[in-house]
Amino acid sequence: MRRKMWILGLFLALFFVWIIPGHTVRAAEPIILGVPTSLGFLEGKEGLDCINIAVDEINSSGGVNVGGVQRPFKVVAIDARGAEPGVPVSEVIKVHKKLILEDKAHIIAYGSFRSECALACMDMVGKYKIPMLLGTAMSPAMEKKVKTNYDKYKYTFRVCLNAIYLVKYLGGAMGYMGKQFGFNKVFIVNQDVAWARATGDIMIKAVFSKMGWKVVGRQAYPTGASDFSAALMKAKAQGAQVILPIFDMPQSGILVKQWKSMRIPAVLAGFISPLAGPAAWKSFDKKIDGAMNAIFEIGNIPCPKVPKSVEFFNKYKKRYGRPIEAGHSPAPAYETIYILKEAIERAGSLDGDKLVVELEKTDRHGAMGRIRFNDGHQVIYGTDPNETAMGCMMQWTKTGERVIVFPESIAEAKIQLPEGLKPAK
Amino acid sequence: MLFGTLVYGFINSSILALLAMGFNLTFGISGVANFAYGAIYIFAGFLTWIFLNSIGINYFLSVGISILCSMIVGILVYQVIIIRVRGLILSEVMATFGLGLVIMELFRYFDFVGFRYTLPVFIDGSISIGGVYVDYQRLFIALIAVGMTLFLYLFTHHTKIGLSFRAIAQEERTALTLGINSDFYGALSLAFGSALAAVAAIVILPLGTIAVEGGYEVLINALAVCIVGGLGSTVGILIASVLIGYAQTFTANYLEPHWMILVSLIAIAVVLIVKPSGLFSHQKELEERI
Repeated sequence: MRRKMWILGLFLALFFVWIIPGHTVRAAEPIILGVPTSLGFLEGKEGLDCINIAVDEINSSGGVNVGGVQRPFKVVAIDARGAEPGVPVSEVIKVHKKLILEDKAHIIAYGSFRSECALACMDMVGKYKIPMLLGTAMSPAMEKKVKTNYDKYKYTFRVCLNAIYLVKYLGGAMGYMGKQFGFNKVFIVNQDVAWARATGDIMIKAVFSKMGWKVVGRQAYPTGASDFSAALMKAKAQGAQVILPIFDMPQSGILVKQWKSMRIPAVLAGFISPLAGPAAWKSFDKKIDGAMNAIFEIGNIPCPKVPKSVEFFNKYKKRYGRPIEAGHSPAPAYETIYILKEAIERAGSLDGDKLVVELEKTDRHGAMGRIRFNDGHQVIYGTDPNETAMGCMMQWTKTGERVIVFPESIAEAKIQLPEGLKPAK
Repeated sequence: MLFGTLVYGFINSSILALLAMGFNLTFGISGVANFAYGAIYIFAGFLTWIFLNSIGINYFLSVGISILCSMIVGILVYQVIIIRVRGLILSEVMATFGLGLVIMELFRYFDFVGFRYTLPVFIDGSISIGGVYVDYQRLFIALIAVGMTLFLYLFTHHTKIGLSFRAIAQEERTALTLGINSDFYGALSLAFGSALAAVAAIVILPLGTIAVEGGYEVLINALAVCIVGGLGSTVGILIASVLIGYAQTFTANYLEPHWMILVSLIAIAVVLIVKPSGLFSHQKELEERI
């Protein structure tokens, strides 16, 4: 009898050990997150790194409560190569389709690197009723599609900055320079891709024309271009005081070097992906002081006035042994996973339609500030981190540090002109 | 503006000439396909970066070892892959192109992604040429391109090794009867071509950052120059580089930079229609007539 009791006791002990949360998470069917990004690009690679941080955090603390069952996240990442020149949109769509049909992804997290691909994939995720959260594509056409045909496109959301918000940050910084230094002549150099073209167009229509600035020239370079002397010579000849670059390709670093070596007397203020991270100081031979660069989402740069951004930035550095270099995407990638966790738990289901309803209700304070979606399923960005998500403009100092100079609500310093450039007033 | 266009057009031409030289030596002059050329260019760039930054050895030593390693890779490519399909041009192209993809994707797999991969310039600073500022690195590129073109011409026309390279491409069996070991010279040609790719990488990559996808662009540019100039012709390479380089720069300056990408493609299409052997490839032209 005593022996039987021992066996029964042992059985019960094993049973209770089995049902503790960690084991339940491991045993439960995982929630598949399809991640089709461009791993050959820094934004794609670091974005996936951040997704893994968030997934590990969530899984180690018990997973996601789906209608009373704790389920872990499982990441299925595929290098869709949507950012690379020459890769057709159809190839990227195939990758999304594979994730949905073969890998049985419940959600496309951090999908479709380029806007051209994201816009095309919206139809596909709509067909299969799979929510897709974008983390890199920036064209505002996405929101237009959601608003004009809600039932078909409601499954797509964007966590990262879009071109319109980028324009607001860039425009704000331009306005500040106009007031402070009397500048009013700008030359635009942009990459020949949808988001960069859109950003340039909106800057002209919504910012420069309203501020009374003169756009003395504009040039678009194909992805992969490696000589920017033509644009720089024109900018100099036209007397531009500000050069607004809009690029996310590795070769755009050449533009920075040429700007310095050709001694172009204008402030370089815009977005050049290689200029965003801390490594740029060494990469560009410590000669980028004065250059201003947009950081699309805080968290990609630590913002002392938003402690969660500093916490996230340090978390990444601790895990991977190096800081975040991309100015666009890592923080949204991390937040995407928490947004999904909260929405799934509220919905208590992985049903696409139910998830859409709950995603729309998102309201959380994270590494980027306060995160809420507007009616076009775009996270709202602004100038108050307690009310909206935040992007910013930073400037390289003479000592090789990045300091936030705009918006003023989170600024750490005032804009300084590079050596040799004088104010116009 | 015009003077600036001329200056930067010359530099652009020099970059194209440097990029195409190694490819031309291997595929054009020796007739051995090396479509892993772009990958070897990137390999040399990353290797130099590793020696400089991860291992921390002297710049000149890093450069020397990288060139040497590139040559060894070239020899291995011949001895391990090409020798098995030698003479079947299409197979050579496919095999080496596939190998190039493997090399580049391995770099991507091992995390060589980002903007921190840069090589140092030879001398920092810039100089004004007629009011147009040009950095010293670009001047070096122009000088090295001119020097290398001269060297390559003299090497392939006046040295035993250079003449052997040409011989195995013209008539391999006859070359063998004259005591030229075609496999030895084939491997040597790949080694020399890879060394030229490494030199181009070390000189050109300091202008920007090292990116894996750059390997594809290098191969495309090298192909464009060789097709237009005529495979196997050093003079043709030089002239094609100048034509395409200036056409690209003038297009960027006086039309729109996004049309630049079409320049090489139009040049290839026109040459293939009008003179398929290329502007200066007499050897191939003769073959076509026969």
